[in-house]
Amino acid sequence: MSGQAFFVLTALADRPLHGYGIVGEVAELSRGRVKLKIGSLYGVLDRLAAEGLIEPDREEAHEGRLRRYYRLTRDGRLALAEEAELRAATARVVRVRLGLAGEEAAG
Amino acid sequence: MSGDLERRYRRVLRLLPGYYRRQWEEDMVTAFLESSLTGDPEEDEFAIEYGRPSWAEVASVAGLAARLYLGGVGAPRRYFAWGQAVRHAVLAVILGHAVLALGGCVYLAWAHHLIGWLPAPPARLLLGLSGADGTVWPAVWYAIGYAYIVIYVALILGYYRTAQITAVLAVTPDLVYLLQQQLTYHQPSQSGPWAGFILFDLAPVLAMAAFHRDAPPVGRRPWLLALPAGFVLLAVPMLAAQVTGHASWVPGYSGLACILVAIACLVHVPRIRSGKAMHSGAWSLSLTLLAIVAGVVRFAWLVEQLHDPKLVTEGWTELVVMTVAVMLVAPDAVRAQATVCAPPPSPARQ
Repeated sequence: MSGQAFFVLTALADRPLHGYGIVGEVAELSRGRVKLKIGSLYGVLDRLAAEGLIEPDREEAHEGRLRRYYRLTRDGRLALAEEAELRAATARVVRVRLGLAGEEAAG
Repeated sequence: MSGDLERRYRRVLRLLPGYYRRQWEEDMVTAFLESSLTGDPEEDEFAIEYGRPSWAEVASVAGLAARLYLGGVGAPRRYFAWGQAVRHAVLAVILGHAVLALGGCVYLAWAHHLIGWLPAPPARLLLGLSGADGTVWPAVWYAIGYAYIVIYVALILGYYRTAQITAVLAVTPDLVYLLQQQLTYHQPSQSGPWAGFILFDLAPVLAMAAFHRDAPPVGRRPWLLALPAGFVLLAVPMLAAQVTGHASWVPGYSGLACILVAIACLVHVPRIRSGKAMHSGAWSLSLTLLAIVAGVVRFAWLVEQLHDPKLVTEGWTELVVMTVAVMLVAPDAVRAQATVCAPPPSPARQ
């Protein structure tokens, strides 16, 4: 799973969001390191939708325009959970190899 | 909320295929406009009226357009056919570079007596090896040759980013060389070398955009075998012709490209008729693309050879033979856009 796809799925994990909402949430989750351009965002969204990991939730009018919200599907939740576990396991190994695991436990 | 900013962004979105715009355009416009606002009413009014999408925003849409037009897994038939055709064509051109580079490696090893069981090469062949003209270019050409072998193998193994970066580095010296020739020696006509550079070197680098995350993996075995096979069938006979004093039998690289495309078309025709080969249409489209590329480069060289009737006859013969051969696969290439099916996307690929 690409980093962008992982952040987008994470952004949608607890509630449906519209396009710009996802951009903001991803920026916050990544502490400003991932700033999705709109072309990149929809490249990720349409791929995730084609793979059945997200789906449209609802449409809401906002200042004369329609905002389309997206939510995770069941497969999306499973895929995100698997990816999170994989990344967490990798992070644990990194901490051990850097000798940080003991420090954290002590701290 | 409508102004120049929205109009300009919609103009950028025209880069995307129609089917994609119908599904996503309104959503993209809404998200883009919202992302362009700061919350300050005066600033926002100015941005909406006079603003324009940033280059990064345009680049993200262009990148998306390239991925959609040169489609991969899950793409509509037409776009998948074009994606496969371009991927095959890029691999074929890079294979040509890699085969010639492999020939150069063997030749260099031979000249330096590293292939002990072969007799020493004729002295006249060694003249151009070590930069006898006092320039670094021979060494550069060999280095570029090795780079093409790396690019070819990287594409096959799926290291697309490595291939793309190496390819950019490999074409840069060619550009510098051509510019140096043009500016230093004020050569009047350079249409052949420039056409060769643009279509055989630069275009494949740009077309590597077709190797994206959705591109189906390259068939490793046949493409890896094609390198030694190409060496035996192409580089060895060319080397033999040079050693035996028949270098004039070997056509220039653009003529050689025409002949190779013609042979490939003739070999492909029985596969089309048998109807057994999967995705034969994508191959027909690839061969048609390659024929156009080779034909344009050959014609550009022909323009430079008008003073020599023998070369003109050779050039027209190569062009006519290739055109006749490609006409045999062209109908299948047209049908390919409706018949070639993309494999469905799978969640595991994410």
